Amino acid sequence: MIILDQISKNFPGANRPAVDRMSLRVNQGNICVFVGPSGCGKTTILRMVNRLEEPDSGRISIDGKDIQDVNPDHLRRSIGYVIQQIGLLPHRTIEQNVSLVPELLGWSREKTRQRVMDLLTMVGLEPDEVSLKYPHQLSGGQMQRVGVARAMAADPPIMLMDEPFGAVDPIVRIRLQDEFLRLQQQFKKTICFVTHDINEAIKMGDYLVIMNQGRLVQTGTPIDVLTSPADKFVLDLLGDDRGVKILDLTRSETLMEPVNESDGFMHNGCRIQAIQPVKIALEIMMQKNADQVGVYRGDELVGMLAWNSIKEHISRISGGVRS
Amino acid sequence: MMFNIYIKRSNFKCTKIEMNTLQFILNNSGLITEYTLNHLSLVLIVLALSIGLWTCVGLIISRYDRLAGTVIGLSSVLFCIPSISLFGMFMTVPGLGLGRKTAIVVLVIYAMMPLVRSVYLGIKNVDSTVVEAGRGMGMSGWQTLCRIKIPLAWPTVFAGVRVSVVLITGIATMATFIGEKNLGRLIHQGITRGSAEMIIAGALIVSVIALLLDYIMGRVEKKVVSPGLRYQSGR
Repeated sequence: MIILDQISKNFPGANRPAVDRMSLRVNQGNICVFVGPSGCGKTTILRMVNRLEEPDSGRISIDGKDIQDVNPDHLRRSIGYVIQQIGLLPHRTIEQNVSLVPELLGWSREKTRQRVMDLLTMVGLEPDEVSLKYPHQLSGGQMQRVGVARAMAADPPIMLMDEPFGAVDPIVRIRLQDEFLRLQQQFKKTICFVTHDINEAIKMGDYLVIMNQGRLVQTGTPIDVLTSPADKFVLDLLGDDRGVKILDLTRSETLMEPVNESDGFMHNGCRIQAIQPVKIALEIMMQKNADQVGVYRGDELVGMLAWNSIKEHISRISGGVRS
Repeated sequence: MMFNIYIKRSNFKCTKIEMNTLQFILNNSGLITEYTLNHLSLVLIVLALSIGLWTCVGLIISRYDRLAGTVIGLSSVLFCIPSISLFGMFMTVPGLGLGRKTAIVVLVIYAMMPLVRSVYLGIKNVDSTVVEAGRGMGMSGWQTLCRIKIPLAWPTVFAGVRVSVVLITGIATMATFIGEKNLGRLIHQGITRGSAEMIIAGALIVSVIALLLDYIMGRVEKKVVSPGLRYQSGR
């Protein structure tokens, strides 16, 4: 658990603080996404957590321990760090790059080697193929995977990711996001994730922290933020397709009318799983030109999701800014 | 006056002005070998001292930016002083006098500009995101210097070293005027006597030394610079 308590940071020559009295809690095993326009202070916060920057006031603690009491180098070795520019060492092979932190921690050679091979496989690379290559021989997507593998090398409980998928093309980005979420399901790291892309934030985040000009504007789960944006700024940030985004985060079962198969209910053959998002249901309805779909849990029909209830739901919750 | 002495003491067997250069070298092989070895040893000593000294200075000023302007400016000014006057000036410094000590000091000063500059630029031009990533992974300042900055600066540093090797080998000829018995003497006497063979022989051997040292440096560079960096100068 990471706790920020009244953190402020001024850079010399700037006319306003980069971070202004921020307080925040990042829970164990969560992905907390910091989102906002350029210069809103999100990267600065990340860099203060691993002490690449020092706050002017306030304190940051990790698992109850003030990070000011920890040697910065030791602190950083215990925190995974991924940046947009990746920053692989160009003069070292991929294997040497990934073994950077284990090397600093003084792991044995065999243990490090084994770990590197496992990690490369884990992030979807072929260890035999890439381990002896140099960074310039890899594609952008491959380099980014190596960046993630390097950050996870010593199995740090906390990871800081600064626009980790920002430098790759949209198709690769989506694949990397999906793969990363899958890894996260397995490892449950505590992650601080910075992005300026609201879609990425909604997709990756368990918890969103929306920032503007060094201040915290709104926090909450993606669905909270989407359904009740705090002000005009958040509304603009979320974009004009807020309702569609909500449908992507709403499970079909939450909007369905429960039915019983034993009632002899007949339907048109469209089906969807209860945990799938409403957006998928909508897609099926449009494809099949239907007004409703059957919602299934496994093979059992549990309800019907109608076009009208989706429409009503959206118009009800996206009515405007919360007062 | 000094020049006349040289001619009188000269023991070159140089009877026919048209004698070809090769013949000249063969006829005077003993003396020329002595001059060549003197020349080479001077260059190697200077090279070792300057690499040691100026690399340290380059590293220091890459850390303290305020010093950098002053030191690099100074090195450029020193570099602009004609070598013959610099030899003359240092000759008068007590404890140096005629001979090797002065030669070494002056040549080390000439090597300052290319070496300090290349080390400084090499370190400064290292991609800051790579250093940043290293820091973020938990490398100490010293570790980022040794494991990131210096290895990445090698190509630039080597370019400077190779320039200074050629430079020192050439300027070392001027040390003949303060009593160094090296290939410069061959050239100088050739000029005073109007002997083209002597001048060519001297210049030729100096060039061979320069090229040879440059070649060796090139081989060392290949060994030291990581293959991962080679793409920058064409794969």
